[in-house]
Amino acid sequence: MSIRTLLVATTIAAIAMSSNTTARSAAAQDQTPEQHRMLIEGAHLWSVYCNQCHNARPGSQFSPAQWDAITMHMKTLSNMPAKDMRAIKEFLKLH
Amino acid sequence: MSLTMNSGFSTKRLRGALGGFILALLVLAFGAIAAADDSGVERADKIEQQLNQVKTDESAEQSRVQRDERAIRQLEQQLQQLESQHATLVRQANTLEVTSDKLKVEVAQLQDSQKQLAAGPSDEQFGSAMSRYLGSHQFTWNGSVSGGFIYDRGNNTNTFALAFQPLVIYRLNDWISFEGEMDGLLPQGSSAQFALPVAMFQLFLNDYLQVNAGLFDQPFGDWYEAQSASWVNRFVTAPLLYGAEAIVPPSELGLQLRGGLQWGALGQDVDYTTWVANGPGFDSALPHPVVGQTLNPVNNIQINTNGKAFGTRIRFYPFPLDSNLGRLELGASTYDGKWLNGHWFNSWGIDYAYLNGNLQTRGEYVQTYRQMPGGGPQDKRQGWYIQFGYFLQGLPLPQLPFGLDRYIENLEPLIRYSGVNQRAVVADEISTVPGIGFSGSPSIFSPHARQVALGIDYWIEPSIVWQTEFDIELPRAGGTLFSFNGASTATASPVGATSNDHAILTQFVIGF
Repeated sequence: MSIRTLLVATTIAAIAMSSNTTARSAAAQDQTPEQHRMLIEGAHLWSVYCNQCHNARPGSQFSPAQWDAITMHMKTLSNMPAKDMRAIKEFLKLH
Repeated sequence: MSLTMNSGFSTKRLRGALGGFILALLVLAFGAIAAADDSGVERADKIEQQLNQVKTDESAEQSRVQRDERAIRQLEQQLQQLESQHATLVRQANTLEVTSDKLKVEVAQLQDSQKQLAAGPSDEQFGSAMSRYLGSHQFTWNGSVSGGFIYDRGNNTNTFALAFQPLVIYRLNDWISFEGEMDGLLPQGSSAQFALPVAMFQLFLNDYLQVNAGLFDQPFGDWYEAQSASWVNRFVTAPLLYGAEAIVPPSELGLQLRGGLQWGALGQDVDYTTWVANGPGFDSALPHPVVGQTLNPVNNIQINTNGKAFGTRIRFYPFPLDSNLGRLELGASTYDGKWLNGHWFNSWGIDYAYLNGNLQTRGEYVQTYRQMPGGGPQDKRQGWYIQFGYFLQGLPLPQLPFGLDRYIENLEPLIRYSGVNQRAVVADEISTVPGIGFSGSPSIFSPHARQVALGIDYWIEPSIVWQTEFDIELPRAGGTLFSFNGASTATASPVGATSNDHAILTQFVIGF
């Protein structure tokens, strides 16, 4: 195994081992003001809208890709305004 | 090689020169002797001395020549060794040059990799790599599994029960998805029983309009869609109007339009759902329709009527989120369709839900009318429930031994009152076999069933709960009991006072 192959493998392993938390915290640092506003609104809405039917589940329980699908399901059941669901989704994907 | 040839040539010439020199000396000597006849013995001696001297010189010269020849041979050998060493050095130099080039390339690659490693992947690179890894078409599994124990005093039964209800969501992109749910149950006398309560396409056309098509939970009220999942329902059982003697069909095969919007401040929303579907159906196993007949779980193609059912639900949220008044939902639903040629099934309901901190409460009232053939009296039914729950989380508690205060904080005490009024029940449809979410109490099948449910939930995680429920069945007297008992026409008998009943249900639920 060449040095380059070893380095590439190490890099990939490091990326894979860094959990969603790393990506989420990095993404949180690179927010635009609009995303930041949406995130705060999402946190506010999440604790109320979700809890109205069931206990609100933290974002860490599912990956961002899973939240993409789950929030479509929840949008159907709740009929909440689309912009509110987008805010909640952004919050869940980053926390 | 050229040096060797020159050396040999010089040696021969040297020998020749020496011979000539000696011969000249002899000629000169004899000439001198002939020219001077009378030089005497002295001259002869001199000549002899000179000859001896010449011999001596010649011998010395020969020795010197031999030494020179040896030296020349040694030099020739050293020269050959040097040439050999030179060739070896040239080869080694070439090898070193190639190795040096390889090292330069590897060092450059190493430096490049070190730079990439130090810089790390950007968010875009990471996101792109993860998206590529996951793919754009994604399946997500959700659902629940629940296992519990049921005891009913009136039926004198106790049993374990299990249900597995996976929900798979397939997301094609931001505006198309499909979801399907399977119910796996373990009923009496069978290894497993499976049902498909939901199989539905979802198209999100814009922020205010969504189209759903397929088999879906009835969007009437809040129960079937939002509260029936076992980890969402705070109790083990369903309220009476949505339980074993449900008064509204639980699912439909059809098409929905739905959406929601904010009409005021944040939190002040309104949403709508309207649908067209195959419509209600009633137990077709009976010889003829009777009042109090049980609804079919789903109206599929085989029992389609000549008319479709139409339903609409509106929900309204009056309080802004920042008002700190909590979240209040007020809803109204209607569902109408022909269950038989020319005979309508009409229903309407109102509901509310309220959440404020640790307190949550909800309730519904539903009324249905069913036109009976032959001009008989309408099949009227009413059902309702109201429930309260309070999370003990955050409750100021003294420090208790064994850390009990930490466990108490996970508890949620509950109470629910529910009831159903209907003019009759059909004896042939009564099944008191318990199952997940159903105690099997015979009192539930009373025309005027009433139930007080006391519950206590212990929440381990937001979606993992151990639920325990104590049911007090308090049916009222009155109503009619129809019985076919194998005959083609039903016999009616009045239902008198029905005994009360108690049941205990406990189950562990994991929502995933």
